[in-house]
Amino acid sequence: MDLKEIKADSTLDTRGLTCPMPMLKTKKTLKGMDAGKILEVLGDDPGSKNDIPDFANKGSNEFLGFYDDPEGYTRYFIKKG
Amino acid sequence: MASESFWDSVKDEAHSTYQMLFTKQWPTWLAGILIAIIALMIFCWQSPWGIAAGYHDWGDWVYYLTGIFHERPLNPWLHPVSLSNFGLLLGAFASALLARDFKIRRAPRLEYAKGLVGGILMGAGAAMSKGCNVGGFYSAVAMFSGGGFAMMFGLMGGAWVGLKYLLWEMEHLPSRAVARKPPKESGGIDWPRVQPWIGGIVAAVVVLTFYVYGSVDKTQLGGWLFFGFLIGLVMHRSRFCFVRAFRCPFMTGESDTVKAVALSLILYTGGTAVIKWAYLQEPNMGIYHSFFMGSLIGGFIFGIGMLLAGGCASSTLWRVGEGQTKLMCTLVTFLLSNSMTGKLLQVSGLNKWLGKDIFLPKYLSWQLTIPLMLAFFIFWMLLAMWNEETEKFVVF
Repeated sequence: MDLKEIKADSTLDTRGLTCPMPMLKTKKTLKGMDAGKILEVLGDDPGSKNDIPDFANKGSNEFLGFYDDPEGYTRYFIKKG
Repeated sequence: MASESFWDSVKDEAHSTYQMLFTKQWPTWLAGILIAIIALMIFCWQSPWGIAAGYHDWGDWVYYLTGIFHERPLNPWLHPVSLSNFGLLLGAFASALLARDFKIRRAPRLEYAKGLVGGILMGAGAAMSKGCNVGGFYSAVAMFSGGGFAMMFGLMGGAWVGLKYLLWEMEHLPSRAVARKPPKESGGIDWPRVQPWIGGIVAAVVVLTFYVYGSVDKTQLGGWLFFGFLIGLVMHRSRFCFVRAFRCPFMTGESDTVKAVALSLILYTGGTAVIKWAYLQEPNMGIYHSFFMGSLIGGFIFGIGMLLAGGCASSTLWRVGEGQTKLMCTLVTFLLSNSMTGKLLQVSGLNKWLGKDIFLPKYLSWQLTIPLMLAFFIFWMLLAMWNEETEKFVVF
């Protein structure tokens, strides 16, 4: 799947936040979403590149992937399970 | 041509080795093993590894230079723990540069406030427990000091309270994200290409400084800088963070860091047992913690602080090394609060009420202490793994 084609249902901006805030906010936002919806997370904490995929692959959610935006942050895509 | 393809393959090999060593994140368990080995080298070299004592020295200097304290502290370049702190900072800085990942990282305003308060709490907590998450917990446990275990339980309690605060904050104090300015077209300098070279220069300067210390008959001191550098490198490469061992079981249930810290402690205690039992170092070395009130309460306060700051004593240093401005604020309040609280405890005579140093083998014998501790670490690992499956301790 081309990540750049994904239309996210909601977006969470965590730019500037560091561990553990991006993870906490991601977890909280996913909780409030319906199954099958896609969450896009924007972040620039280097630790998130391991933490968010690990977390999103646990349980029923599905981690779709991430890519670096040319503006200096990363976009992560998670499908709520 | 055959020779060309040979050199091409050498180049490819070198490139992929560089990627593996300096760009990709190292696994947490590997860092746990490496940190235990370096900590044991430091113990054999002179005395157990710590961090807060170095902060204490820096804080003393601020108060001395502003005329608040009258006693002249030890020069930061002659204080072993201060030197290993410098080393840790430089190791993380070099590692971030080698990975082309050093940036001045800004944070929202609320984060700076949390960084400042977190530093104050950690400084005060570390003064009460006579050590931070390293000197008061990690090294303390490995040295068989009862205070290390008391601090461990304090840290767990503090992490729980700190996490509860963060959850409350998410509901009530929305924080605006800070969008970083897009990378500028800098005047001709290709920073991603230059960074690894600067990182290499930093590493060379640290090694050179070690030799300079040796040349003026201070080899032992120079060694602290070098060992600190290695730890900084390992910690940044793996993003090794003691906070996670206490926070994640409540937050996501993730147990990797608990397993890594427990594994690290098994190796560190095993090595220390050999060194102390064989009298290669004084058995009582590193036993000075306040069992159990000082370590327990200090650990609790420290635990809240490390959740607010998003870093403990060690991960504050390596995060400063990768350019996180929030943790730079934490570092400043940590050292000021640590030095002041230490002074107040000493002047008020409260220190003796906090507890006394307990060397576990003195009470339980070596024969019993070692298997008990091993069982304890394995129990901690199993509990974390069980929690990962069942999420019994996860608070939200």
